[in-house]
Amino acid sequence: MRNGQVNLFCKTMAVLVMAFLLAPLVVIILASFTPTQVVTFPPKGFSLDWYVNAFKPSNHFVSGLIDSLKVGITATLVDIVLGVTGAICVTRFDFPAKRALLGFFTSPMYVPSVTFAFVLLQIYSQIGGISGFFRVLIGHLVIIMPYIVRNTVSILHTFDWTLEDAAASLGASPIKVATKVTLPLIRPGIVAGAVLAFLYSFDEVALTSLLSTPRFVTLPIRLMNYIELTFDPTLAAVSTLLIVASLAIIILMDKTIGLDMFLK
Amino acid sequence: MNRRREAVLLALPATIALTVLFLVPMVLILAQAIVQEGLSDFAEFLTDSFYLDVLATTLRVSLVSTILSLLIGYPVAYYMARTSSGFRKVMIVVILFPFLVSAVVRSYGWMVILGTNGLLNQLLMAMGLLSEPAKFINTEGAVVLGMIHLLIPYMILSLVAILQGIDPNVESAADSLGANPFQRFLHVTLPLSLPGIVNGCVLVFTMSMTSYVTPKLLGGSKFRMMATMVVQEVNVNFDYNAATAISYILLAAILVVQVLLGISTQRGMARLGGGRDA
Repeated sequence: MRNGQVNLFCKTMAVLVMAFLLAPLVVIILASFTPTQVVTFPPKGFSLDWYVNAFKPSNHFVSGLIDSLKVGITATLVDIVLGVTGAICVTRFDFPAKRALLGFFTSPMYVPSVTFAFVLLQIYSQIGGISGFFRVLIGHLVIIMPYIVRNTVSILHTFDWTLEDAAASLGASPIKVATKVTLPLIRPGIVAGAVLAFLYSFDEVALTSLLSTPRFVTLPIRLMNYIELTFDPTLAAVSTLLIVASLAIIILMDKTIGLDMFLK
Repeated sequence: MNRRREAVLLALPATIALTVLFLVPMVLILAQAIVQEGLSDFAEFLTDSFYLDVLATTLRVSLVSTILSLLIGYPVAYYMARTSSGFRKVMIVVILFPFLVSAVVRSYGWMVILGTNGLLNQLLMAMGLLSEPAKFINTEGAVVLGMIHLLIPYMILSLVAILQGIDPNVESAADSLGANPFQRFLHVTLPLSLPGIVNGCVLVFTMSMTSYVTPKLLGGSKFRMMATMVVQEVNVNFDYNAATAISYILLAAILVVQVLLGISTQRGMARLGGGRDA
């Protein structure tokens, strides 16, 4: 094989893999507009009925979305506070236990979420009286924290700590140093971590399916339950809306922090 | 404020939260299970052929998905690392994009394609290759396909991170010393990219070991992997002892892989969001 052939082979594989990755998404988008119960190609016409169906209160997708946003946003905001303070601690100071501490902050990553969910379930049944929102929130809070800690740590490794001393020597208070110097400079890392953490919470199924209660059910669980009962293009309509939202997020991330961030 | 106190204050919120909400529950429940039942639940799991079969299926699906992701992902990653054209940008978007779309949505897409009345069957029957629908969905093959779709972006990104750090001049040197592309790959590129391979494989393997959505939706009700088994024991069979054994054995399996191969992977895992539900 010559170099040109190697290049051609790699390029062909790249194009095929791109097509493979996009195929199910394209199919979903086309399926959401078909008028028939069973998806056919070519589609027999055009209809927005499934979108109307997606918003019917009886299908609970809107309430599922609200529950998902509630738990995802709360968990991410709390973890930004916990994760960023923790990350600053293990990068700013030198002490013997700092590696162990960082390992502890990221340890939930190595525990299967279903294992942790089952453990929490037993704790809840021994304590009792915890609402659906808090049952799910505590689980999400723990499993998404490593993503914020790690992304903040990796940007802090490139942060020049003497900038803080400079600001302090010019008379800035510690609070001012943090809010005017440190936090603005490490913001891209925090944002990347927070977006990944929120998306993890938003898509979480295994943990949530053990911990949710009938009165608090997140969107992915609603989708899973719907698939088991009725297999119609309503799901395609909901999925298309989620795909559009993901596309918006990726464009926004490209404009703000740059996608090359994920290749380092 | 002295530095020592500042360090302690910064460490406290995350340490307290994780100790109370994570570490104590994990240890407490394991200890309770062992005190109440001894190790009999674990022994039962490891001697019952039904459970061993679940474990074997989980390992097999994870291994096959990992190997295929590596073989398919490597040339793609290599091309991405070496090209500087506008196509590179398109590739980054296409690889990151499905990875932001939930596993439920992506499995649903495959259900529409692979189902009994699905598009693939319609196509094959229209072409006259099949007289009646073939069974694509609810098979192990469908699960592996869905798993590769879900996890190959992690493999590609792990490989690109290492491959783009390899100086192209090293490869040119191999060329000018008379190596053919195959020898160059075997003796230069492959060994240099080994950290990326290990990183990607650990990520993909552990994520498919713990996968829940893909086996549940594409494997059907009779297809069981470790994570779906835990949920089934709790929600359907109400067998908490079995669920305890399965969840801690799954945890142990993941930790063994991490300890054997994963020391280098911590960084990559968190940056890419590894450990998410597959």
